[in-house]
Amino acid sequence: MTTVLQFAALIACLACTAIRFPAMRRGRNRSLFWIFAMASLSVGLSIHAIYMPVDAVLGGINLANVALRVSLFAVFFLLASKVAAAYNSPLARAMVRGPVGIAVLVVCSAGIWISFFLSTKGPSSTGLSALADEPALTAYAGFGMAYMAYAAACVVVPTARATFARRLFLDRASALSMCIGFILVLATVPIQLLPEPNNTLLQGCSFSAVLFVAAGLALVWLSYLRGTKRRRAAI
Amino acid sequence: MSVSAKNFQHWLSSVAGTMSHAAVCRAAGIKRSTLAQQMVRGRVSLATVAAVSRSLELPVVISLAAFPAFQDLASGIKAPTQAEALSQISDTDLLQEILHRQAAAESDSAPQAFALSDPHHRSSVRAWLDAVDTSDLRQKLARQASIAPQNLSAQITANRLTAELAIESARIAGVGLTNGLVATGFLTPSEAGWPDDARQQALRKVADSGLVLLASHRLEILGRALRRSEDDTAAVQNIWENLG
Repeated sequence: MTTVLQFAALIACLACTAIRFPAMRRGRNRSLFWIFAMASLSVGLSIHAIYMPVDAVLGGINLANVALRVSLFAVFFLLASKVAAAYNSPLARAMVRGPVGIAVLVVCSAGIWISFFLSTKGPSSTGLSALADEPALTAYAGFGMAYMAYAAACVVVPTARATFARRLFLDRASALSMCIGFILVLATVPIQLLPEPNNTLLQGCSFSAVLFVAAGLALVWLSYLRGTKRRRAAI
Repeated sequence: MSVSAKNFQHWLSSVAGTMSHAAVCRAAGIKRSTLAQQMVRGRVSLATVAAVSRSLELPVVISLAAFPAFQDLASGIKAPTQAEALSQISDTDLLQEILHRQAAAESDSAPQAFALSDPHHRSSVRAWLDAVDTSDLRQKLARQASIAPQNLSAQITANRLTAELAIESARIAGVGLTNGLVATGFLTPSEAGWPDDARQQALRKVADSGLVLLASHRLEILGRALRRSEDDTAAVQNIWENLG
């Protein structure tokens, strides 16, 4: 089940990357292309069959996991600022791109690197699940989770507001889909904080979140393509 | 917004005799499958009754009065009040009249008469409800028809009102029962029993001040609606700009 979900998320991200490629060439919303390219990388690196060979190339000390985390940070930073701007929420945009948001991003990124180098370099392991518990690894996972949860929390409200706004069905559906995705990201926090983390549930949440956000953006593109048929009020 | 299929069948056989359903549909310009579906579901829409009635050249109001729910419709016909007739004149026609009166005042002649546009104008339902509203018409209507107030206001904003609600509003307001059906566009003024020049007369009779205040009230409503729709468009444009 988890594998199916992982591959579905990977295919969705790759498809979105491919869809965004022509727009990227034309220079329209380039960051969306990079968001999906990096999301594909992150999702790919969380799949065992891809992680192991990649990490072997990088030295077998789980540097690939750091790459995964860093690219996820970039994805969340870019996506959250785009979504906050799209749904016209200056507060959310300031929380992501403003001094506070940048500070959180810097602290979390620095935390990732520091805690990674402080930890005992174990053998290559997807999601670091086979490594022994130690404070540095707990901090490492905590920093990774913290930024994603922070960025998702910033954009849950604007997307929820757009879901209930007076809009066409397609525009509301896209906002709802993204909102569900961000809520699922938030839901991974309590799941990881549980005394006995449930890995299946955690991965289910994360990869469904990817699918929901990708679906939401795809619906926005659909609405954009159909946009010319929009009703117009004339005097 | 419908009558039972049994009653419809009964009415149809009394007015159309042995005419087949296919012939009735062809004459009325409705799809056969539409009527068949309505018959199967057991509810025939009032639009179907009106279309059949018009194709048989029967007065729509008399046809509707053949159904139990609308028995008193024909006897409830009353000429529109001045306010009601004015409410069914479009915003642009009101402005046109102001311009004509101004031109007439300058040249010292009688204001030029002009053909009024369709009574079912873009805010005709709201305008009619405002014209007949004594106090809490909308609340009473929602209560009596057991419909949620927000559903009622959604209909009014969309310039729609089901025939039942239009008739019920007229009943509550104590005006001609068919008058609301003119505002919703279901009946033409002459079908509703209005004198041919009811709207023209009302327009001619209204004082300059009344005319200008009415026009300004209408423009205010129009301005609000336009701003809302512009805001919505801008919000969607903003989403496309950033995520499209």
